[in-house]
Parts: sequence; structure tokens; C-alpha cells
Amino acid sequence: MKRLAAWGAAAVAAMALALVPCIGSPTLVQFGISTLLLATLAQAWNIIGGFAGYASFGNSVFYGLGSYGTAIAMLRMGWPFGVGLALGAALAVVFAVAIGMPVLRLRGHYFAIATLALAEVMIAIVSNLDIAGRNIGLVLPLLRGDTMFYELSLGLLVLTTLTVLWLSGSRLGFGLIAIRESEDAAAVVGVNTTAYKVCAFALAAFFSALAGGIHAYWITFIDPASAFDISLNVKMIIMAVFGGPGSILGPVIGALLLASISELLATEVSTAASLFFGFIIVIAVVFMPRGLADVARRLPQLRWRYFGDNVRTHRL
Amino acid sequence: MTPLLEVHHLTKFFEGLAAVSDISFDVGTGEILGLIGPNGAGKTTVVSLISGTLMPNDGELMFRQRPIGGLSPFQRARLGIGRTFQIMRPFPGLSVLDNVAVGALFGAGSERRGLARARGEAAHWLQFVGLEHRAQQRADELGGPDRKRLELAKALAMRPRLLLLDEVMAGLTNAEVNDVVALIRRVRDSGVSILVIEHVMHAIKSLSDRLLVLHHGQKIAEGAPDHVLSDPRVVEAYLGRRRT
Repeated sequence: MKRLAAWGAAAVAAMALALVPCIGSPTLVQFGISTLLLATLAQAWNIIGGFAGYASFGNSVFYGLGSYGTAIAMLRMGWPFGVGLALGAALAVVFAVAIGMPVLRLRGHYFAIATLALAEVMIAIVSNLDIAGRNIGLVLPLLRGDTMFYELSLGLLVLTTLTVLWLSGSRLGFGLIAIRESEDAAAVVGVNTTAYKVCAFALAAFFSALAGGIHAYWITFIDPASAFDISLNVKMIIMAVFGGPGSILGPVIGALLLASISELLATEVSTAASLFFGFIIVIAVVFMPRGLADVARRLPQLRWRYFGDNVRTHRL
Repeated sequence: MTPLLEVHHLTKFFEGLAAVSDISFDVGTGEILGLIGPNGAGKTTVVSLISGTLMPNDGELMFRQRPIGGLSPFQRARLGIGRTFQIMRPFPGLSVLDNVAVGALFGAGSERRGLARARGEAAHWLQFVGLEHRAQQRADELGGPDRKRLELAKALAMRPRLLLLDEVMAGLTNAEVNDVVALIRRVRDSGVSILVIEHVMHAIKSLSDRLLVLHHGQKIAEGAPDHVLSDPRVVEAYLGRRRT
């Protein structure tokens, strides 16, 4: 019953969000597009980082491949945007499978470090490819259509979230959770750990690449440094972890909330905005290290003791 | 009748040290084979080699008359080899019920099983091991004896044909040991073959159809429990040489 109410609320919220371009200012719509894309990225990271427990720093590479795939398809081949998106997504999925096979054998910090290097490698490669405009970048055809980009981004976020919802009740999702909780134990109860991890990586790649493609066409300019920006990956992790990794709605709510706070701070106290933002993150990590989803689950029972318990159990 | 599991000349080195050397034995269908030996004899290594978490340096494994040496742990699990770990490995963040549901979801012949059905089966196995009242608790909240039961329920939910039990009775009280012995008998009566490692001697003696004794990675005795336990070499391995 409670679950049903939550989903009702989520559906209403999605519909309300869909109406924003009709009533909101152009600035709000633009803020909306970038925030919805960030939320999609956080949700995609949730599949590999939250469910499978593999803290990937390679998701910004998927995003970049989506951007470049779309741009190259439209500029060099003259294909329509939709085909470009598909090409970008296909590139990212192929890359995820090819790189995932060796890299997903590494666990914990080693996996994080290995994926961290991927972005730098991609910047070096793309900067030397003529088809990708080398280090100058690519300029995409201009399309004035913020409403279209907004609805597209919202649709992608809904699709990604529905995928995560399906995942949470599926064999695949359960296998991923088992891998996160104890990989050796998962293998001896019959989970094909390698295939499952690669599958999660590929799913994350698919949605991240679509977000990258939409963003590239919206912004109309990409260069290697911005397309494969590692700080974007850090952002998705912070948002997903703030919201609650491994939950269904947590990463989305975390992304929307953090992006709003950050935007608000930037306009109100412009100079010290990032200082305040950092402060909020630190507070969140100390008092609610398991994210908003866990707060929603346990705060009603424990009340204010919830925060004290967190501080104690994590010895902060 | 052909045995369910055949082990031929199994050998495993750890950095030059032979943890298991040239061991051969069979486990028959519906048989309980006890694996005993002093600490460091290689018992857990044998279990890990059979379940696939370790790869042998030499030797051959046949399960249901097919070689399984080249299969990974998950493939062996799906063929019907279930194991428990001596150092218990639950999925800590999941509920007790879902821990067992993972076993039901991925074990032997589970390809078309949905989550709802897996949870239903999990509830059955929790009842079987007497853990149903803890179903909704997180697995990491369980105490030692209950964790042992959970390990067992998880392995049983996989519906294995061969169950490898690595010290499921260590640290239990006498009454709890008797419970687990009765439990293991019931599992065997349902047609499952069992290889059990145990230090609780009276339990393994009454439980096992046959005993296999390892010492320094080598098989030093095999046969009926009474016969094996009175073998001078076995006594020596456990207690040391008698001074004359």
C-alpha cells in the first residue's frame, strides 16, 4: 500500500515535471534539462555502482562516447539525430562489454582506479582522431527547441528509472545485489558473476550514452575535455550516494535535490557557493551515510536518534 | 551403481606446499561421507576444489559422470553442487528470507523461477532449518548458530544433489549439534548426497556412512567410521605417536 502510494506520487511528479516547459521560464527549462540529464546519469550509475556495488569512474566515458557518437553520425554521415543517439549508445555498450570483461575482474579500489584511467585514455585518443575533430571539438547543427530537449530528457529519466524498477524485482537485479553483498558467495549459489557484472555495466553505458547524445545536440558543441569530464562522474556518484545507492527513486531525488541546492547557492551567495555545497555534502555523509532512501525507511521509527545512530555506528 | 562424485588424484599446491596431494575418493548417491583430519589437513581445500572456488594443479573431478574440472563455480552450482562456508558468508545487507531466495533463484534448474516463487521456497527452507521467525531480519543481525542455519538453508534452497558442509556444527551447543545432525539426516533422506567436514567427533561418527581421513594433505584412511577411528595411523595423526 505504502509502495503504491510512493509510485503514485512519483507518477504525479513526473507528469508535473512534464508540464514545466509550458509554464516555466526559459532559464528554468534549461536548468531542468541539465538536471534531468544529471539525474539520468546518477540513475545509470546506480545500476553498476548501487546494485552491483562496483564504484565505476568510467561512466563519464560512456557519456562522452554517446556525445561523440551522436555528433559524428550527424556531422560526418549526415544521419538524423535519432540514428546518432542509437550509434552513440551502441558504441558505449560495445565499449562497456569489451572493457568490462577484463576490468570487472578487479574488485573495490582497484576497479575504481582502473576505470578512472579510462577517461584520460579516451581524451588522448579522441584528441587525435580527425573524424572526431581532434582537440578542437565538433559543432553540431543548431536547433532551438528547449522544450523538445526537456521532454526528451524527462522521458529518458523515466525510462531509466523504470528499468531500475524492473531490475529490482528481477533475477538479474537480485544477482547483482548478491554480487554486491558477497561476490564469492554469489558464485557458489549459481550466479554467473562475470556475465551479470558486464550486463550491469552495459546497461549503465546505454543510458549514460543516451544522456550524452541529448546533451551534445542541445549544447551544440563538444570537445574531448568536456565530453569525457571526470568531474561529471564524481557528480553522478555524489548524487546517487546522497539519494541512496541500490534504491529505485533515491538517485533521482538525490540528483534533483542536490542540483537545486547547488543552483540556489550559486545565485544567492555566488562567491562562496561551492564552499556551502561542500559543507552540505559533508553533513549528509556524517548524518545520513546510507542516503535519503535509508532516511525515508528508518527515520519514522527512530526519529532524531537515527542521526545519532549513524554517527555512532560509523565511528565518525 | 556409479557414484555421484568421483575424485581422481586431486592435487593442489599453495606456493610449493602440497595442501592436497593425490587424493582419490567417491561419493555415492544418497551417501553421507565424513571428511576428518587435524587442523591444516586440507579438508576445506578439498571442498573448495570440488565447488570450484579453487582450481587444482592436477587431478580429475567427475560429477554425474561428466568432467567438471573446467567449469566455474556458478556452473557447478547449477549442476547441483551446493556448499556452505566454514567462515559464514551471508549476504549481510539482505533479509534472511532474501538470502535464501538468492539460493532458490539461482540454484540447480532454476532458469525459469521468478522472485515470488523463490521467496516462497525460501520460506519453506527457513522453516526446515528452524529460522522462520527471523525471516525479515537483516542477515548480519543474526548470531553465530543462526548464521550456521542460514548458511545451510541457503545451500539447501539451491536444491543440490551434492551438499558440501564445511563445519556447520562448530561452536554449537550439544543440543544444537543434535538438531543439525537430525537436519542433515533429513536432507539425506530426501536423496541428497553429503560430504561433511566436522570436528565434533561424536556427531560425525554417528552421521557418516563412511569416513575419509586426511593428514598433511594425504588420505591416510577410508572406510566405516568405527573401523577408521580405531586405525593406528588415524589415532597417531590426531594424538601423536605413542611412546614405547
